[in-house]
Amino acid sequence: MLDTGISPQRSIGRNPRMDLYLDLAQLISGFLLVGFLWTHMVFVATIIIGVNTFNSLAQFLDDYYLSYVGIPFIGLVALIHVIVVCRRIPNRYQDYWRHARTIMHFDTWTWIFQVVTALGIAFLAGIHVFLVIMGWPIEADTSAARMHAFWWFYLVLLILGEYHAGFGIYRQFVKWGWIKRKTIGFALKSITVIIVALGLAALWVFVQLGGALR
Amino acid sequence: MKNRTLTFSIFRYNPATPEIKPHMQSYQLDETTGMTVFVALNRIREEQDPSLMFDFVCRAAICGSCAMLINGKPRLACKTLTRDYGSKITLMPLPVFKLIGDLSVDTGTWFRHLSIKTRAWIHTNKEFDPKALEERMDNATALEIYEPERCIECGCCIAGCATANIREDFLGAAGLNRVARFMVDPRDHRTEQEYFEVVGSDEGVFGCYGLMACDDNCPTQLPLQWQLAFVRRKMAVAGLKR
Ligand code: SF4
Ligand code: SF4
Ligand code: FES
Repeated sequence: MLDTGISPQRSIGRNPRMDLYLDLAQLISGFLLVGFLWTHMVFVATIIIGVNTFNSLAQFLDDYYLSYVGIPFIGLVALIHVIVVCRRIPNRYQDYWRHARTIMHFDTWTWIFQVVTALGIAFLAGIHVFLVIMGWPIEADTSAARMHAFWWFYLVLLILGEYHAGFGIYRQFVKWGWIKRKTIGFALKSITVIIVALGLAALWVFVQLGGALR
Repeated sequence: MKNRTLTFSIFRYNPATPEIKPHMQSYQLDETTGMTVFVALNRIREEQDPSLMFDFVCRAAICGSCAMLINGKPRLACKTLTRDYGSKITLMPLPVFKLIGDLSVDTGTWFRHLSIKTRAWIHTNKEFDPKALEERMDNATALEIYEPERCIECGCCIAGCATANIREDFLGAAGLNRVARFMVDPRDHRTEQEYFEVVGSDEGVFGCYGLMACDDNCPTQLPLQWQLAFVRRKMAVAGLKR
């Protein structure tokens, strides 16, 4: 027998693969959410092409029940993501804070912002989904009215969401991957800039429309 | 270049005199050409304060004993030039490890524990035959083993790691790097599953947040991101297989 350091006492009770499963759940739910976020932004950005394009896309998603499957599904994924990720929050967050302040290390700081943005997103996205569902179906003029009134709300949500997604996915690549940190960082920054630009453009168009369609 | 006067703000505490609480003490010193923090500390000890405690052996970035927080970042004192810093330099002992006094910490016990926990030696079922020729290894594999073996056990990756600072049982980059070295070694007969038991948990590779303070702070520039990702992928596959 090889003495491999495995302690038999600990093999009972807890599933030894739990930490792996949780880590994978975080990875997969995170990727799904980022995928959703980016598609969502591209869909929203169809408003830049025209009101009709936007409306027919919304109509299409509605007609084929894609919205009815998609929204609850993403809601569930988001919930899983929140539950799984919470295990990462240190019992004594002061420890982490003190450490970050001592070593002044960039990636260590981004993780703190990751927690802060997460709280912001959970709150704002909740309100957003609620408003959208209350005003169902999705149409350009209701959306425009909403964004005309609450443009600052959407601006904050857009930036928080993209920041969180960008760094989250960066960290997953770093943890699992064999791509250089610089390379992956650059690629993700570029994508994030594009998506934020799209989002800003869409927001701008909506805010302009908001006045006109009323 | 005009000679600067450097101010060193140094953490002081001696567990033998607990009535003197931990505090920062300042020392002033004229900078000399090519001065390292290690040289500065020796001069302070010789010229100003013989009670100052810090470690060094090799003064050539080989032994790993002089690691400390220099302006907050884990660095080797003997490899850090004062000219790369402003005129005020703060020195603190590494966190996580047990404090011996002032800037001196006990990394030895921690690393010994790590070796025992990860069983950092070759596990084989083969009977050793002293008369036989040594088995050959191809060059690529040998290099893959040598690379992680360059770890000097300085503890910079542990001190810089948020996870290691928060949870005591985390093996850290040095530990996972060590395990990675045995995983590629063909002489080691441990199975994936046996490795999984040791590092396939939050104590091991799944506890890592991927913040890369280890990778950024390793004074020997070990490819720690690569090593951590390698162990993570291997352990994920091993865990899903069973
Ligand atoms: S990447 Fe992992 S091991 Fe390295 S400093 Fe971060 S949490 Fe620690
Ligand atoms: S991996 Fe690098 S930082 Fe960590 S103990 Fe070894 S040499 Fe030091
Ligand atoms: S004294 Fe040996 S590494 Fe600095």
